[in-house]
Amino acid sequence: MLARRLQPMASQARRLYVELIFQVMGNALQAISEIDEDVQNEARALPEGFLFEMMVMPHGASLVIEHLGNGRFRYHGSEAPRPVNLSIQFKHIAHAFLVLSFQEKTSVAFANDRMLVDGDIGYAVRMTRILNRLEAFILPRLLARRAVKEYPRNLHLPEKLLNATRIYLKVASQFFDTVRA
Amino acid sequence: MSSTFYEFFCPVKVIAGKAALEHIPYELAGLGGKRPMIITDKGVRAAGLLEPVIAACEESDLDIASVYDDVPPDSSKAVVRDIAGVYRQEKCDAIIAVGGGSAIDTAKAVNILVSEGGDDIAAYAGAGVLKRPLKPFFVVPTTAGTGSEVTAVAVIADTEKSVKLPFTSSFLLPNAAIIDPRMTLTLPPHITAATAMDALTHATEAFTCMAKNPLSDAYATAAVKKISHSLLAVMDNPKDTDGRLELAQASTMAGIAFSNSMVGLVHALGHATGAICHLPHGLCMSIYMPYVLEYNLETIREPLGELLLYLDGPEAYAATPANRRAEAAISAIRRLRDALYKKCQLPRTLKETGKVDESQLDDIAALALDDGSIMFNPREASLEDARAVLQKAWA
Repeated sequence: MLARRLQPMASQARRLYVELIFQVMGNALQAISEIDEDVQNEARALPEGFLFEMMVMPHGASLVIEHLGNGRFRYHGSEAPRPVNLSIQFKHIAHAFLVLSFQEKTSVAFANDRMLVDGDIGYAVRMTRILNRLEAFILPRLLARRAVKEYPRNLHLPEKLLNATRIYLKVASQFFDTVRA
Repeated sequence: MSSTFYEFFCPVKVIAGKAALEHIPYELAGLGGKRPMIITDKGVRAAGLLEPVIAACEESDLDIASVYDDVPPDSSKAVVRDIAGVYRQEKCDAIIAVGGGSAIDTAKAVNILVSEGGDDIAAYAGAGVLKRPLKPFFVVPTTAGTGSEVTAVAVIADTEKSVKLPFTSSFLLPNAAIIDPRMTLTLPPHITAATAMDALTHATEAFTCMAKNPLSDAYATAAVKKISHSLLAVMDNPKDTDGRLELAQASTMAGIAFSNSMVGLVHALGHATGAICHLPHGLCMSIYMPYVLEYNLETIREPLGELLLYLDGPEAYAATPANRRAEAAISAIRRLRDALYKKCQLPRTLKETGKVDESQLDDIAALALDDGSIMFNPREASLEDARAVLQKAWA
């Protein structure tokens, strides 16, 4: 009985959590593209104006980023200004929660068919590498190991701390700007 | 690496064995097909492989309404549009693909156009665009390697935009795959070897990559066993009908396995090498497999060790300590490659192909990194990793 009453609250909490993480990731993707050369090199292969979306099917939370050119991203929030070029779609909110709460690696989620790719698969692979690098930076090593297939061998603590701080500061500043606007 | 979740799907009716072709009329009638079109290529026709298919149909009063035998090795939008035009003109109502990967992919694409309408196959590119079953579609493979008869994908070139269009839908799967040993009896030795190594790679990667699952494992191990038992025997005696059937079945089983558990870095490197150096796919698989298995070794030690049983038999498996079985499995694959080199000069390194320049390795590595198969490789391969594997495979 109690479980049945709590179920809607748990669903709502899960939904809010996924929305929040999408916001953090969107802002963090913009931030990391401004400071990390590896991410910029990966992103440069994307066409200018390329719109990438990550969303929960059928009409759930989403994050949209645009490649502005030269490896830089802009976070558009949850609404795309025009049809997206690449969409990675979680089949269900439960699957998004598994990945975004680091209970299932992104690569495992792909292998488990939790997600669909609509668009160029090569770009999807590239965006997954960028997301992995972001997670390796912003998550504590223990958590990052649960999120990515292989923790980068060449990512050492000083670089990780420095970049994580810069990313989080930029994310905070972007959040602050959004709230003020 | 046990699966906590998996999906498995294969609705293709497999009709395999002696006189399998003679089942086509009955099976097609069951689906309402009365005027089938055969889609094939000039090589298949020249090898005399169409005659038994047509004879099997005509003996049961099933007239082949049209035969299109000009499918090129890399099929394009224009070819698909032309064949669909012939299909409509001849009022066909079913498709029989007879051939290898290109003929089968082309037939899948033609089936989209003749079922859904239109002339531009690009409109149906991508995943999940198709929403309903297509026309009755049978596949008669003439090589034992691609497994295309049981995969839900097709790739067609858009020559105007210089891109390859992928099509993914379970509706692309044929209603039936007809595996008849007569269809592969005349395969030349080096194609027999390369396509069998393609099938062996499908099975090995299906069994060792991230999306492995209990059902695909069963198909993969059975395929490895059949190839290990029969390949060298068929190389020695190409007219060995039983051996040919074993290889053809293994190819289909490996196809079922990898279409439900995907492949990994061997395929990523192979696709990139094919695109840049135009090496046959099966040959690329044969070259890269041991080097990629060595690269992945510590993450796949358990399943790879298990494969030794199917690669080398129970005696070798029992005689090998558990902690050495993975290395022994790689050695068994290397021995198979050496034997194939002796029998038909199937290259074991990129240098031995004579068609790859060492300066191309950087480009191959870069392209491989963007291949979808790399997502399912158990290790996260970086550009440096891919380059290192290529260097080992060089000579």
